[in-house]
Amino acid sequence: MQSRRQFLATTSGAAALAIAGIPRQARAAGAVSYWHHFTSQTEMAGLADVAALFEAASGATVSSEGIPNAQYMSKVTTASVAGGLPETLMVTSERLPDIAALGAIAAVTDRIDDWAHKDNFTADAWDGISLEGEAYGVPAFSFVNWVYYRKDWFDELNLKVPDTYEEFQEVAIALSDPSKGRYGFGLRGGDGGQNYLLDVLESYGALNYADGKATLDTDAARAAMGWYAGLATEHNAVPPSAANDSYRQMMEGFKTGQTGMIWHHTGSLIELSEAMEEGQIGTMMRPAGPAARIARVNYLYNSISGKGDMDAAWDWISFWAEPDAAIALLEATGYFPATSAVASDPRITGNDIYTAALETLKIGVGSPKIVGFSGWLSGTVLSEFQKILVGTSNVEDAVDRMARELDKEMR
Amino acid sequence: MGVGVDSGRRPFTGGRLGRAIGAMSETRSWPFLLIVPSLLVILLVVLYPTLHGISLSFREMRLTRPDLGTGFVGLRHYVDLWHDDIFWRSLANTFKWVTLAVSLELAMGMISALALNREGPLMRICTVLVLLPWFLPNVVAANMWALMLDARLGVVNELLVRMGLIDSYVAWFATPTSGLLAAVFIEAWHGYPFFTLLILAGLKAIPKDLYQAASVDGAGSYQAFRNITLPMLRMIVVTAVILRVISLANSPELLLILTGGGPGDSTQVISLYAFKTAYESFDFGYAGALSVVTLLLLMVFCVIYLRVSRVLEK
Repeated sequence: MQSRRQFLATTSGAAALAIAGIPRQARAAGAVSYWHHFTSQTEMAGLADVAALFEAASGATVSSEGIPNAQYMSKVTTASVAGGLPETLMVTSERLPDIAALGAIAAVTDRIDDWAHKDNFTADAWDGISLEGEAYGVPAFSFVNWVYYRKDWFDELNLKVPDTYEEFQEVAIALSDPSKGRYGFGLRGGDGGQNYLLDVLESYGALNYADGKATLDTDAARAAMGWYAGLATEHNAVPPSAANDSYRQMMEGFKTGQTGMIWHHTGSLIELSEAMEEGQIGTMMRPAGPAARIARVNYLYNSISGKGDMDAAWDWISFWAEPDAAIALLEATGYFPATSAVASDPRITGNDIYTAALETLKIGVGSPKIVGFSGWLSGTVLSEFQKILVGTSNVEDAVDRMARELDKEMR
Repeated sequence: MGVGVDSGRRPFTGGRLGRAIGAMSETRSWPFLLIVPSLLVILLVVLYPTLHGISLSFREMRLTRPDLGTGFVGLRHYVDLWHDDIFWRSLANTFKWVTLAVSLELAMGMISALALNREGPLMRICTVLVLLPWFLPNVVAANMWALMLDARLGVVNELLVRMGLIDSYVAWFATPTSGLLAAVFIEAWHGYPFFTLLILAGLKAIPKDLYQAASVDGAGSYQAFRNITLPMLRMIVVTAVILRVISLANSPELLLILTGGGPGDSTQVISLYAFKTAYESFDFGYAGALSVVTLLLLMVFCVIYLRVSRVLEK
């Protein structure tokens, strides 16, 4: 009978032989814990597919935990202070400065420099996860911002796809018929709406970035907030619930025929296509504002906390760049691959509905990475915008407070 | 079989330590010594975190700005708070939120407890049904009601339209007034079983002969309720109100899910503001100041309320 020591020696030798037989990319063994903020069924299915491929290739197991996006930062903050971070976690560009400042993620620059896939990512993709010359993670997939619209409504009313904010407003008004509960634009004024407000402010040239700080051009900000809020307060072109509408409400509004256009990213395509009839959905680029056409190409990243087995953690986060993993995620969720190599796959370039996304990729920008900026957007800008929507404030007062709070935050 | 003196062992006397403890147990300080272990535990798990939280409010503590350090800033956070419009709005909202919700919960709890305080074959099932909302976690209750009150798919809107009470679906959480009232209603639905449970226990403890005696004296139901039930329940109601006020003032999760404090801070309460300051702006120093103010306000409330209700008087 084998002793326990002999048994361990035998099995570890066999494991070493097995590991030697698979690519270095997938040499992890054991378990890797992973925090993410996926919520929808398609996202969960996509994650399960990627994890299954990784487990098959590496023999390791992935134990993932989903945390609602709204509670993600509080959970990471608590775990960072009290201990209990997972080995790997999902990170967005906007949150990178805060999460890095918390010490919740570790730099992986050296590993990336030695990585075969490094050059398959654009400089923008690396920029979104880099701070002061250090890279803190690997791009997992990308979100290309665009506009979904009711193609059948546009055809009925013989409307042209809008290219500028002015045209967008005209089309939104034309599509609206409040007496029938139909509105041109599904404005997201609740949680998450701060990201669209950032786009509008930048489209008017209201935000300037320099030396890791942001400043607000109040005149341009007034014009931006006035235009965006005006869709609701002046033109009645958004649902009355807009001030509290977050992702779910915005999506349901579009699916149920309440709204004719919504701003979101490529990641919603599968969900909308499954819920709606063929020929109802069209996609277009974000309209251009007076100063710029702002559409984000945001990458979602996976990072290593620095706790536990760093090699296994690296293998897991870098596995997402493998073509099989990226295409599996695309097929399940519609999320665009993060690597330029996989994005030129014929399954993407040959599909008309992705034309707007491919055009956006050429001009897309990342999110600003400034400490304290995301807190200002969600805490002040969104709140002030809601006040304008519900009539408890006006554009002038809202922008004054936004400027004051930004100034305080950037000090 | 016993152990006798002849077993060869000497009886246990405790030696010097035992004799010292024995002597000490005869002194007046003995009861105080006995509570020392409990006192130490209380100091560790209650007093230390509280004092730490208070000390945080006098320091710089922004997790994302390590360059600012964690030094003593004196009363700066409190001065900022004095000039902070959102703080004052949150304070007013907290007052409205707690007053409305507790009043509604107390009324619903009293009515349901009186209804359940009778004998009958279905009473136990009814009691369990009435208590059901209390068993639901806040997060579940909030999400469930958010869906039921949804402006597009909500069953409540559909029912109200069919009953002819409203013309079209209402976006309950999209205006300041309806947002706060809808949240208060949901909180009352969720929290009233707490009052039901305590009041029902109090009702069961009231001696039946008091009602019989009152009946002999010609008292009707209302008089019996006013002169026997209410006075006998006073201690329970006062206790329940204090616990509930503290709980509501300190729990932001329902509002966090339903409205996030919006639209435009119209449902922002102090606990939610402190939570967002800590976990969105990562400013634990300012959040600490907000929490200390909440603590002080709750202490003042408890003192005033206990005095006004006179439950501590003989």
